[in-house]
Amino acid sequence: MTGLRLAGLMWLGLVLIFLYAPILVMAAMSFNASPFYQLPFEFSARWYHDLAENAAIRNAATRSVLIAVATTIIATSLGTAAALALFRHDFRGKRLLKLLLFPPIAIPWLITGTAMLIFFFAIGLGRGTPAVLIGHVALALPYVIVVVNARLAGFDITLEEAARALGAGPWTVTRRVTLPAIAPGIVAGALFAFAVSFDQFVVSYFLSKPGDSTLPVLIYTAIRKGFTPEINAVSTLIIVTSMALMLVVARFFSFGGHR
Amino acid sequence: MAEVSVAGVTMRFGEMTALDDVSLDFVNGGFFALLGPSGSGKTTLLRVIAGFLFPQAGRVRIAGQPVERVPVEKREIGMMFQNYALFPNLTVAENVGFGLRVRHVSRAEERRRVGEALDLVQLSGLGARRPRELSGGQRQRVALARAIVTNPKVLLLDEPLSALDKALRVDMQIELKRIQREVGITTIFVTHDQEEALTLADRIGILRDGRLVQAGPPREVYNAPIDTFTARFLGEANLLPDPLPVPLPDGARLSLTSAAAHAVRPEALTLSPGPIAAAENLLPGRLVSRVFAGSMATCIVAVLGETWKVVARDRDLPQLPENTEVWLGWARADTIPIDRA
Amino acid sequence: MAQAPIPGDGRRAAGLLAPAYLWLTLAVFLPLSAMLFFSFLTAAPFGTESPRATLENYRDFFETPTYALLLWKSIRLGLWVTLLCVLIGFPCALVLARQIRGRAREALFLLVILPFWSNSLVRVFSWAIVLRGNGVLDRTLDALLPFDVRLGLMFTPAAVVIGLVHSYLPYVILTSYLALQAIEDDIFDAARALGAGRITILRRLILPLSLPGLIAGAVLVFVPVVGSFMEPRILGGRFGTYFGTVIEDQFVAVFNWPLGAALSFILLAVVLAILGLSSPVLRRGLT
Repeated sequence: MTGLRLAGLMWLGLVLIFLYAPILVMAAMSFNASPFYQLPFEFSARWYHDLAENAAIRNAATRSVLIAVATTIIATSLGTAAALALFRHDFRGKRLLKLLLFPPIAIPWLITGTAMLIFFFAIGLGRGTPAVLIGHVALALPYVIVVVNARLAGFDITLEEAARALGAGPWTVTRRVTLPAIAPGIVAGALFAFAVSFDQFVVSYFLSKPGDSTLPVLIYTAIRKGFTPEINAVSTLIIVTSMALMLVVARFFSFGGHR
Repeated sequence: MAEVSVAGVTMRFGEMTALDDVSLDFVNGGFFALLGPSGSGKTTLLRVIAGFLFPQAGRVRIAGQPVERVPVEKREIGMMFQNYALFPNLTVAENVGFGLRVRHVSRAEERRRVGEALDLVQLSGLGARRPRELSGGQRQRVALARAIVTNPKVLLLDEPLSALDKALRVDMQIELKRIQREVGITTIFVTHDQEEALTLADRIGILRDGRLVQAGPPREVYNAPIDTFTARFLGEANLLPDPLPVPLPDGARLSLTSAAAHAVRPEALTLSPGPIAAAENLLPGRLVSRVFAGSMATCIVAVLGETWKVVARDRDLPQLPENTEVWLGWARADTIPIDRA
Repeated sequence: MAQAPIPGDGRRAAGLLAPAYLWLTLAVFLPLSAMLFFSFLTAAPFGTESPRATLENYRDFFETPTYALLLWKSIRLGLWVTLLCVLIGFPCALVLARQIRGRAREALFLLVILPFWSNSLVRVFSWAIVLRGNGVLDRTLDALLPFDVRLGLMFTPAAVVIGLVHSYLPYVILTSYLALQAIEDDIFDAARALGAGRITILRRLILPLSLPGLIAGAVLVFVPVVGSFMEPRILGGRFGTYFGTVIEDQFVAVFNWPLGAALSFILLAVVLAILGLSSPVLRRGLT
């Protein structure tokens, strides 16, 4: 009995090593003085200095953050509105609308991304930051709707009815009763949206203009040209940021961790 | 079928002592109810007997064999759970046949015994259904069939009726009793419902804070509770105040033995607007309220600073306005002397 | 939730829904339709050539064995990665869901799915650093083992598989964990009381009851892996040509968009077939 338990824990430990070891190695190498990851390890913050002076990376990072913030704002507001409508109202085609949320999540981004590329060219929008933003919002929307909907499922609709009985109009009911009650869901949805956009590579790759790309696209191009230690440093920064963000999400949203 | 005995069993969870030196014998073929409030240790005791928990001290015997270190799957017990714990992915017949399959019984034999068990619980013909397609009462019967089909040495029931509504629960109590008699299996039953325990069991054990307070036939425990907790937990008990006021009110008379405490059952009391000449014990009180409950009625009466209950058939209780002076009388034999307060 | 109709109710619902669904239409559904349309043209309609309707692009796929071979190679890659993710991830979810309790479980679970939300490109890149010839892994194994180690994993199909398993493993763990956690503990007590051992409980209860979660996880791995192109490019080197990379090439290198669209649609058909095949099991898990 204890032998099996021990084996289980060891398996879990090995999986965690598998998941984290390469990330830790990368982080360590970003502090290694040798540009070719040569051992023995010699500490240096040189690549972080270089990073601060690399305008291309800085611009791409700024663009990535701005696009992620814009995506978060747009996707969260549109998604919350849609989730409210799906929760409150009963109408024909509601099941279909809910089903339509899955293609953007389930279809590989390679297909969605190339399809967007073709369509945006066909309508004359072409590639560039606006196209990237439109694509990111579309990818983030279903996540926001699903997450806010999950929170609404635990919301007691009689609270809205009580507020209406007290004379509050629809807008007041939404603003003073519903939105505060589902705020944690909205915050979680917003963080999901940010993560989807900030980590997005595939769709950005097809939609951004050369020289006008987001950070992941820049990293991919740099890796394909050959390894550069600055990329190592910026990758480390990205992964630390995303993981910190995820920890914040976890605080708002307990993933099956209860009981 | 076998007798079960528990001797000096102590079970601790960290700092918490769930069972403290509990000893109890369960006779062969008997129907035993373990009764107690929540947290009293009754479910822990059942799980120790089942083999889910290994006690830190003490001995558990099934059919004379010490089993306290034998895991549950090797103990040859049958168990029914509070929420039935039917396997949702298996049909009714597969649920009932699960224990037989584990024991490598032949398929033909399995079919025959599952059929018999379903007949016994009156669910013949529902073998192909899934648990979620059954009503609460039907699920309960499936769980019972599943627990007894392997001919276990002992049947353990963990509050099996608590998830049913009241009318269904009474039906199932009768049914459970019938099946237990028919099969003749030693049965240990955990409940917090004293009425259920009194109805079903031929012996009951009362637990409190991990200790066995009293065990015996229901009538004996009811009529001679060992302490005031048992007196009040098993049925209603009106306790005489301790110490009694001196002097007693005018017209009152009491004829008591020398015990630590005295109790009177609500149904032993006679309520009257005036003093009752024939009563060996008589106390004045004030009628607080009268509650009608169909054939029976309950009067709440303030007596010597205590709140007492009187229960009788509605037509035997006089109709009096609230706050009137009333007299409560009872026979000497109806005073229950209690050894421990 | 059925509610009494309120005046203007339908209009209000439409007003709340329209922006989100218009956006999805504009950015996902219309593009997918446009791509289907394009896949039947001889050329992109915004070039100098005037396009004609044709089946040529699909004929290309069926007449050029290379494409079919690459699609098969991608499907095989998907099957391998999915199998490994299931074999590694399911026991892991089982340990998390049934063996560890309380705060430790919450923390470990979070630790397992944390990489899931970090940039997958960056994680693939980190494997490139680990697997490089004479890199960290080679050095570590050299130091630990008495004999000379030359793994030379970088730029091999194995490197691609490792990187993809690393990227998608958390999906299987997440979905299996959620399914396993939903099983009521009583059921295992009941099975033990009936005399069932560990193997029986695993085979007759745990596996069937968590199958929908396991299948969901497998689909979530298989679908994107069949369409992967970034991982093979970074870790596969000259072995890194798959169906996904061919599609990528049509759009960013060869600029044969109609062919790329046709290949994308063939990939989509494969994906939809997989989703269709698995949907009965998935639906059973939802009821």
